[in-house]
Amino acid sequence: MSKNTFVMPLGPVHVALEEPVYFRLEVEGETIRNVDLTSGHVHRGMEALAQQRNLVKNVTLTERVCSLCSNSHSFTYCMAVENALGMSIPPRARYLRVLAEEIKRVASHLFNTAIQAHIIGFKSLFMHVMEVREIIQDVKETVYGNRMNLASNCLGGVKCDVDPKLLEYILSQIGKMEPQVEEIRDIYNTNHNVVTRTKGIGLLPKEDAIRLGVVGPVARGSGVMNDVRKESPYAAYPELEFKSIIKDGCDVHTRTQVRLDEIFESFGLIRQCCERMPEGPVTCAMNPIPVTQATARSEAPRGEVFYYIRTNGSETPERLKWRVPSYMNWESLGVMMRDCAVADVALITNSIDPCVSCTER
Amino acid sequence: MHDIIRGNSTIIEGIEPLCAHGGSVRHTSDSFGNAYHWFQIDTPHELLQAADILHSQGSRLAMITAYNRHSDTGPMQALCYQFVLEGVVYSVTVPLDEKHPQVPSITPLFNNADWHEREMMELYGIKIVNQPNPRRLFLDEELDKGLLGELVPLSIMMNGASSQDLWERILQGKESR
Repeated sequence: MSKNTFVMPLGPVHVALEEPVYFRLEVEGETIRNVDLTSGHVHRGMEALAQQRNLVKNVTLTERVCSLCSNSHSFTYCMAVENALGMSIPPRARYLRVLAEEIKRVASHLFNTAIQAHIIGFKSLFMHVMEVREIIQDVKETVYGNRMNLASNCLGGVKCDVDPKLLEYILSQIGKMEPQVEEIRDIYNTNHNVVTRTKGIGLLPKEDAIRLGVVGPVARGSGVMNDVRKESPYAAYPELEFKSIIKDGCDVHTRTQVRLDEIFESFGLIRQCCERMPEGPVTCAMNPIPVTQATARSEAPRGEVFYYIRTNGSETPERLKWRVPSYMNWESLGVMMRDCAVADVALITNSIDPCVSCTER
Repeated sequence: MHDIIRGNSTIIEGIEPLCAHGGSVRHTSDSFGNAYHWFQIDTPHELLQAADILHSQGSRLAMITAYNRHSDTGPMQALCYQFVLEGVVYSVTVPLDEKHPQVPSITPLFNNADWHEREMMELYGIKIVNQPNPRRLFLDEELDKGLLGELVPLSIMMNGASSQDLWERILQGKESR
């Protein structure tokens, strides 16, 4: 630390931070020269809990790792168990899993985009995005009975079938929402206040993105192609048409563009699921539990979710470990914030769509 | 089940000899045809060599898991390092025992190993050699290392376990009012 720099603490409880995390900023005037991060304030010891519950109960537990990515956790956990037990889920369940996942992705990306407007101080835009997001929240509530944890996944398939009437309802709501999100995307791409605050800040060059192994829109906004849905197809994704959004702007603005463009791909996936939903059962029978180990991964709204399970023949896993997307993305803040202004810390932090509760588990 | 399991031949052929003396190699795929290659290397000494091969091919470190192994001879642990390259998952398991109780850090090769290594140091008490940043990650310095290696019954772990003592104190407080 040079004699011109001084330490500025930010957090763990701060008005600009949604969840507790402590930043130790070394600043020179208004410019950040170094960042150190301390977390652990909401550590829940969930991995220890998972080793005390049976495979079925852990579906409920893993859905509570995160709120916005809740479905991705139970989804990937179920896939890990199904891989361990050698189960193959029915076609209808594969489509229903994608349907729930993409509905959650739309809600998650819109939430992050809204928070960006809130941090910028563009309150009317924040409220507008949240209002449009209510349409997809209503879809969740109407179809699954809940606005956050859908409780849709179970071992071997899905718990709730979605009848044709509800599929029609989803399609009509998506039709209502799409032009409104188009308008929002246009505002984020062209509005002077938004563009001035987000363009050229929080830079994460491609080589740093690769070096730090970042995932999700953070990687794809720095030109790194990393989308599990394309790379390691699962559920119904191999049968559906969609693009992976990849851009090379490397800044806050680009990461927002990636998320907004991805919403339209999700709309397309939701439509295809509703229109091509095969008939048939939504679950398969469980197989005996062997002594084995297995892995599964999926593309959550924030990026790759990775699960590893070891079974010992009993109904309780010997070890269950998962790695959330934010876990890989936090360290990139050190690169993004270097030489940026103190006033941009919250904006840059939001651009990785961080989740403290799932990072610490 | 898919007959052909995809994989990078340089990685597979490079790591297989590191598993030849007591280790094991297994190749599996899931119901969607995604490939998984499982290597258990002989000792922790081979880890850097395996990591070097994976790094040279452009793999990304996805996760490291520490776990306890059952043994009659005393505490034993293992670490499972998982890497991804072109949609294929390569898992390298490193057994730890009294003879080989520590493992070299791979953070110099894979920068994103830092958090994983620090987390398993604090939760499982794993000894990592040459870790460039051996600070606590989540847990406070006052807490013992290796908490997840200890047997803590669920009833003790959960707050409700304090019920006897807690309710007695609550009742005392109520009676004294």
